[in-house]
Amino acid sequence: MTHAECPHEKAVLAAVRSGEWSPELEEHRNGCLSCAELTVVVAALTNDAKALMAMQEPVPDPSPVWLRARLASKERDFQRATRAIVWVQRAAVGLALGIGVAFAPNVWHTLKTAAASLDLGSPVLDVPRAAGSPLLIVVCSMMILGLLAAWELIAAREV
Amino acid sequence: MFALAMPVSPAQAADLPERSVIMDEASFSRFHRLTARPLRAYLLRSCGDLDLANDLLQETYFRFLKSGFEGNDDGHRRNYLYRIATNLLTDHYRRQRPQTHEVPEEDGSRGHADEIHLRNDVGGAMAEIGARDRQMLWLAYVEGASHREIAEIMSLKPASVRSMLFRARKRLADELRSRGLRPKLEGS
Repeated sequence: MTHAECPHEKAVLAAVRSGEWSPELEEHRNGCLSCAELTVVVAALTNDAKALMAMQEPVPDPSPVWLRARLASKERDFQRATRAIVWVQRAAVGLALGIGVAFAPNVWHTLKTAAASLDLGSPVLDVPRAAGSPLLIVVCSMMILGLLAAWELIAAREV
Repeated sequence: MFALAMPVSPAQAADLPERSVIMDEASFSRFHRLTARPLRAYLLRSCGDLDLANDLLQETYFRFLKSGFEGNDDGHRRNYLYRIATNLLTDHYRRQRPQTHEVPEEDGSRGHADEIHLRNDVGGAMAEIGARDRQMLWLAYVEGASHREIAEIMSLKPASVRSMLFRARKRLADELRSRGLRPKLEGS
């Protein structure tokens, strides 16, 4: 569908809005289908808009919207601030899982041997040696840290 | 009646969702007072349901605040507000008709809110044309938006707005004429 815009359209639009018609423009409008349509539509819509804007029903209170937006904003700021911590926690969980998988075949045997050879009377500095392997201490520590990190992540998600 | 300001660029729009609330409460209240009634009129005439229009109005302001959009002036901010509102209307129509991804030419909403559409004959005539036509006509002839602004707000190609607007105007004029409506003109 093709159409040709009447060169008087802008003047007609202004006249409908202001209500001030020159005799020439009025004569043109009466003979131009496009401008007659424009006149009908703009006048109708303008009156309709006035009626709708003057409706008695109040517009909803903006305060709840403001509070909701503030809350969302604070939550976003919090998530941004704790993003690094979450990544460290995820890395710790990953590392703990990795270590767990790597040592899984021997872990039970190592734990049994370590428990058997553990001399609880020895000084603290001798504990790694007494446990049979300093590596075991590292592995156990990492596992515990990993579990703690996983627990933290799950708790944060539930909140 | 007011003119809308410059449209939001895609780069700006992409950046918006990550930003925080920038307006203070007093500025927001002032902006709300300035824009709420015209925006509700736009929503109301587009969807034909006062409760839905009020809900969409609240959601529009929430998304506006959440975006942290600053804008150069009130006109610029208002332009962005109408864009959000139009997107919400589009989402509403999509939810109503999940099989289509387009804003319907005819939304079939006639009669779903008779109290608004039948409040006057213009409302009735508007209810007979498509949702996109209603939005476009309102933006052009009530809000005074340019073709480029309409394209931005309604996510259309700027080149197609002129012809779409012309067709929408013709459809509404036909509806008005069929109802025997003639404008009251000072000069006629």
